[in-house]
Amino acid sequence: MATNPMQQFSVYRIGPEIKIAGIDISFTNASLFMIISAAAICLFLFLGTKEKKLIPSKIQLIAELLYNFIAKMISDTAGSKAKPYFPFIFSLFVFVLFCNMVGMLPYSFTVTSHIIVTLILAIFIFVAVTVIGFLKHGFGYLKLFVPSGVPAILLPLITVIEIISYLSRPVSLSVRLFANMMAGHTMLKVFGGFVISLGLLGGWLPLGFSVALTGLEILVAFLQAYVFAILTCIYLNDALNLHH
Amino acid sequence: MIKQKDFKTRLKIAKSKLKNNSESDEEKRGSFIGFAFKLGTELVASVAVGTIIGFILDTWFDTKPWLIIIFFFLGSAAGILNVIRTAKRMQEEGEVKE
Repeated sequence: MATNPMQQFSVYRIGPEIKIAGIDISFTNASLFMIISAAAICLFLFLGTKEKKLIPSKIQLIAELLYNFIAKMISDTAGSKAKPYFPFIFSLFVFVLFCNMVGMLPYSFTVTSHIIVTLILAIFIFVAVTVIGFLKHGFGYLKLFVPSGVPAILLPLITVIEIISYLSRPVSLSVRLFANMMAGHTMLKVFGGFVISLGLLGGWLPLGFSVALTGLEILVAFLQAYVFAILTCIYLNDALNLHH
Repeated sequence: MIKQKDFKTRLKIAKSKLKNNSESDEEKRGSFIGFAFKLGTELVASVAVGTIIGFILDTWFDTKPWLIIIFFFLGSAAGILNVIRTAKRMQEEGEVKE
C-alpha cells in the first residue's frame, strides 16, 4: 500500500473532452464536487425554508442560525451600509463552508485545496471591492493609500507601503484558505498511511492522531470559511466607510 | 392559568439569561482563532507581493537587482504594518467584548 498523500489533489476529466477556442473546459472531478456542494447548499436551504414554522424544526433552526450569524457578522464589521451585499457574502461563506465540509467526507475531493479556486474567489472580491470603493468615493478612494498625520518626507514611502499592503490582500486571502486545506488533508493522508504501514502492532498511535486531526480539520474547515467571509466584510468596510 | 404564569416566568428567566451572555466565550474564541490565522499569512503575503512587484519592475527598467531589494524591504514593512493593524483590531474587539 504505497499511496501518495498528494494523489487526493489530482484533477482528472470526467466524461468527454470539451475544448472551446483552445481552452480545455472539460468536466472534471473538481467541477463535480463544486456542483455537489452547490446542490447540497440548495437542498439544505430549501428544506430549511420550506415550512416557516413559529417553532422551527431542526433544519429550519440551522438555516436561521446561519442567516443570523452572517447578518450579525456583516453589521458588526462593515456597518449598516453593507446590508445590500448580504446575499454575496452569505453565498460566499456558505459555498466555501460546504466545499470544505464536503472535502472532509472520505473519497471526496476538496475544491478549496486548489489555489486556482481560492485565488479566483479572492481576485473577484478584490476587484469588486476596488470598484465599489471608486464608485462610492470617486478618486477620493485613493486617500486610502495616504494616511493622515504623516510627515511630508515620509509620504511617498508610506504610500508605496500602503499600496503593497493593499495588493497583498487577494494573495493572503487565497493562500490562507488553500494552504490550510491542503496541509490538513495531506496530514490526514500521511497519518492514514502510517496506520497501514505500522500495522496491528504500532498503528494505534497514528490512528488516534488521525481521529484527533479529523476533528481539528472540521474546525479548520469552518474557521477558514469564517475568516474568508469576515475578511471580505473588513475589506468592504474599508471601501464603504473610508476613514483614514 | 397557573401553567401559563409558570411559562411566562420561565420565558423571562430565559430571556434575561440570553441577554447576559449574548456573546459567549466560545464565540469570542472563534473570532480570535480566525484573527490568529490571519496574522501569519498577512506577513508572508505582503513580503511575497513586494518582492514580486520589485522583480517585475526590475525586468521592466533593467535595474537588476536594486528594485527587488528595495521592494523586499518595503514589502516587509507593509507586512509588519498589516500585522500591527490586525493586532490593534483584535485588542479593540477584546476590550469592547469584555
